[in-house]
Amino acid sequence: MAYIRKRNRRIFMTFLLPAMLVLFLTTIYPMLYAGYLSFRSYDLAKPFVPRMFVGWANYQQVLTSGDFLNALSITFQLMVITLSIQLVVGVGLALLVTQRLPGMGVARTLLLIPMMISPVIVGLVWLFLYFPELGYLNYFLSFVGIDPIPWITSPNWALWAIAIADIWQWTPFIMMGTAAALTSLSPEPYEAARIDGNTRWQVFRHVTLPQLKPVLVSLLFLRAIDAFKIYDIIFVLTKGGPGDSTEVLSLYIYRQSFTFWQMGVGAAASFVSLIIIVVLITLFFKSLNRDQTA
Amino acid sequence: MSAITLRSVVKRYGSVEVVHGIDLDVEEGEFVVLLGPSGCGKTTTLRMVAGLEDVSDGELSIGGRRVNEVAPKDRGVAMVFQNYALYPHMTVRQNMEFALRPLSLDAAEVDRRIRDAAGILGLGELLARKPAQLSGGQRQRVAMGRAMVRTPDVFLFDEPLSNLDAKLRTQVRLEIGKLHNRLGTTVLYVTHDQVEAMTLADKIVIMQNGHIEQVGTPEEVYAHPDNMFVASFIGSPSMNMIPARHEGGRLRADGLDLTVPTRFEGRLSEGQETVIGVRPTGLRCAEPGAADAVVARVEVTEFLGNEALLDIRIGDHELIAEIPAAGRPAPGDAVHLTFDPVAIHLFDPQTGATLSR
Repeated sequence: MAYIRKRNRRIFMTFLLPAMLVLFLTTIYPMLYAGYLSFRSYDLAKPFVPRMFVGWANYQQVLTSGDFLNALSITFQLMVITLSIQLVVGVGLALLVTQRLPGMGVARTLLLIPMMISPVIVGLVWLFLYFPELGYLNYFLSFVGIDPIPWITSPNWALWAIAIADIWQWTPFIMMGTAAALTSLSPEPYEAARIDGNTRWQVFRHVTLPQLKPVLVSLLFLRAIDAFKIYDIIFVLTKGGPGDSTEVLSLYIYRQSFTFWQMGVGAAASFVSLIIIVVLITLFFKSLNRDQTA
Repeated sequence: MSAITLRSVVKRYGSVEVVHGIDLDVEEGEFVVLLGPSGCGKTTTLRMVAGLEDVSDGELSIGGRRVNEVAPKDRGVAMVFQNYALYPHMTVRQNMEFALRPLSLDAAEVDRRIRDAAGILGLGELLARKPAQLSGGQRQRVAMGRAMVRTPDVFLFDEPLSNLDAKLRTQVRLEIGKLHNRLGTTVLYVTHDQVEAMTLADKIVIMQNGHIEQVGTPEEVYAHPDNMFVASFIGSPSMNMIPARHEGGRLRADGLDLTVPTRFEGRLSEGQETVIGVRPTGLRCAEPGAADAVVARVEVTEFLGNEALLDIRIGDHELIAEIPAAGRPAPGDAVHLTFDPVAIHLFDPQTGATLSR
């Protein structure tokens, strides 16, 4: 027995090794290295200058920089806008596609398509739509008498343009998870409510929504993490501009590291972002889940 | 007035008709049980009364008012479901409160009704619990409480005991009976369990394939079944059915030769085919040579305590006899049996209808 168990363990380790190796090389080592870099001065423009230990200087620079705080604020604005609209529209669509109406199966499949497209492609598609003079969106808006909107060229609109593209792509995710949860709810409580005479809103608010809550919290959690890391769509659509009106944290880090070549500052910004996201998201979802476990 | 009346009520799903024009009268305060095998249309009928299914044809009235087009909430009914249909995220109290919400009562009245219902059903200790923390029997009591607080004119029960184990079933069955005695509300109750029907009902409605086969008190449907379906559906073990022929004033079948009971005299023509129905309790062990005694071979005996069931063979007919357990024969024995003339039913083999009317 002991021999077999020992041999089994060796087999397990053999199979696990390639995955562990990849994980180490692509995630753990870079993270540790970034941690190391965040305490050093490292200018990519001067690769042969020794990387001096600078203590908390990089962190100090990040935390006192207006650019970083601006990026942080934009990231949260974008997150709040996209998540809240995705939640409302996603749940609405889920309620719609779970109705027993003709064509709902097809609608459900079609609505999933945006989610399957690579974000870079989504960015390019929306770039065509938003294009100032030749874009389809302004062309169609002209039919209803709306003047051309400077979607990606105005600091007032660019964040909304990005939000719309992200909402378009990720609402189906909320819809799919919610629809699955909806179909698993048992129908009898709804019939009981019908006989008792509860209104549709009362039933949705007090019967459906509380039962969906655990699923919605999980879906939002996943979306929040993604929203914090958003990069591709913005890079394609605005590259953080105009000005820094759409510069989210990931673009700020990219700019520090690969435009200004301040690798140490970029690494420190990464760690600060990581800590902020972990703390805030944990707090947020703890508060959401509180009455769930009680 | 809370009587329920069904007149030629039909239910169709597309082109498939599942309830074929049934007529039924439920008197005010009556406990009526719809009984039948799966797919007989009993639950569909109940759901039509509740308003959860549309009536395809015919007229449905509650309290003398046509309700075909009336929304479920305006029919004055409350329903208890097979799987309780409680709101899983709400406490017992909240479940009842939510049912009362459409009535817009003041808080004191809501509280009074919940306390009353909880008192009657013994839910006082459980008001703060959620359904997941309750046993099946407790959940079903909460479901009843939720129906009760609305003080409906009619209670509808859809197989409320099916999800409970045998012991709880007996207990909750008694509670439902007591509840009805206490509240005196009209009850329409669906089950496939004849014991529930026999013990609870003022009136049993036996259904099959979307038709009503017989309506009557438990005694009536047991003692005077209208047809072979009712005769074999009610009673456990089932009534024995033996195809026979009327010849020279006697009923003859393979291995069987009985005098026609006096109440059937003149109702049978010479050579008429018939089916003899006799409950297991209508067979008696007899001395050899007793009048009309038949010889039967015992194949299996089942000891039940006071009684024993004998699986016996007469000619090529397999029957079940229920006799006192003391002195029961052993498998393989040959026994002499008589048919209690009072217990004999005769049916028309074509229509299945009884010949006693």
